[in-house]
Amino acid sequence: MRTETLPALDEGLADVRPTARAPYRKLLGTATIVLFAVLIPLALVWAPQDAKQGDPQRIFYIHVPAAWIGFLAFFVVFVGSIGVLRTGKRRWDDIAASSAEIGTIFTTAVLITGPLWGRPVWGVYWTWDPRLTSYLLLWLIYLSYLVLRGYVPEPARRARYSAVLGIVGFLDVPIVYLSTRWWRSEHPTQFVFERGGLPTEMLITLLVGIATFTVFYAYLMTVRVRAGRLQEAVDEEVFS
Amino acid sequence: MNDWGYVAVAYVGSALLYGIYVTWLLRKERRLERSAGDLQPR
Repeated sequence: MRTETLPALDEGLADVRPTARAPYRKLLGTATIVLFAVLIPLALVWAPQDAKQGDPQRIFYIHVPAAWIGFLAFFVVFVGSIGVLRTGKRRWDDIAASSAEIGTIFTTAVLITGPLWGRPVWGVYWTWDPRLTSYLLLWLIYLSYLVLRGYVPEPARRARYSAVLGIVGFLDVPIVYLSTRWWRSEHPTQFVFERGGLPTEMLITLLVGIATFTVFYAYLMTVRVRAGRLQEAVDEEVFS
Repeated sequence: MNDWGYVAVAYVGSALLYGIYVTWLLRKERRLERSAGDLQPR
C-alpha cells in the first residue's frame, strides 16, 4: 500500500495532501457489488407488482435512491463549501468538488429514470410540474458548479467561487423536497413511511436500494477525492 | 414499448451511466497515480 505524502500546496489554501488509498475502500467496493446483486432481484422479481401503475413502478427502486443520493451529495457540497469559506482548507474543497461531480451523475440518472417511469403512468415523458422543474433546476445549478470550476484556473479563487455557488445552490434542495406539498403536483408525495404507505416487501426493497446507493456513493467519494488530490499535486508540480 | 421495456431501459441505462462513470474515474485515478509517482523525490 502506498503511504507517501505529496508535497503540501501553497495557494492560499495550504493543506497537507495525503494520497494513500482509504483503508476501507475495498470493503465499500465489495459491499456495493453485493448490495446491487441483492437489490436487482428484489426490485424486479420479489417486490409485488403495483396495483395501479403495474410493472413500470419497479423503476421507483432505482429512481428514489438516486434522488436521495442527489440530495445527500449536495448537502455534502453545502457543508464542504462552508468549510472552504470558514477555514480556507483545501480538503473541504476536495470533498465539495467530488461530491458535486458524483451528485451530478446521480441526478442525471434521476432525470433519465423519471421520464421512463412517467411515460407509461402519466402518458408523457415530461411535464413542467413543480417537482420536475425544481429538480431540473438543481441539476443545472450543479452542472454550472462543475463548469465554473473548469473555467477558474487559480485554485484558491476557484474554491471560493464554487463554495459560494455550492451554498446558494443548496437552497434549491428543500424547494425540490417540499414542492409536492407547496404546489399542486402530479408527482407522488412522501407517503413511504406514513401509515398505510408502502407494503412491507416494497418498503424493504426501497430500503435495500437506499443502502446500496449510499454505500456506492461512499465508495465513489473515496476514489474521486483521491483522484482530485492526485490531480492537484500533478498540476502543482507541472506549473511550478 | 411495453411496460417491461420502460423498466429495462431505465435499469440498463442507469447501469451504463454508473458503469461508464466508475470506469472513467478509476482509469483517471490510475493515470494520475502513475504521474504523481513519477514526481516523487527519489
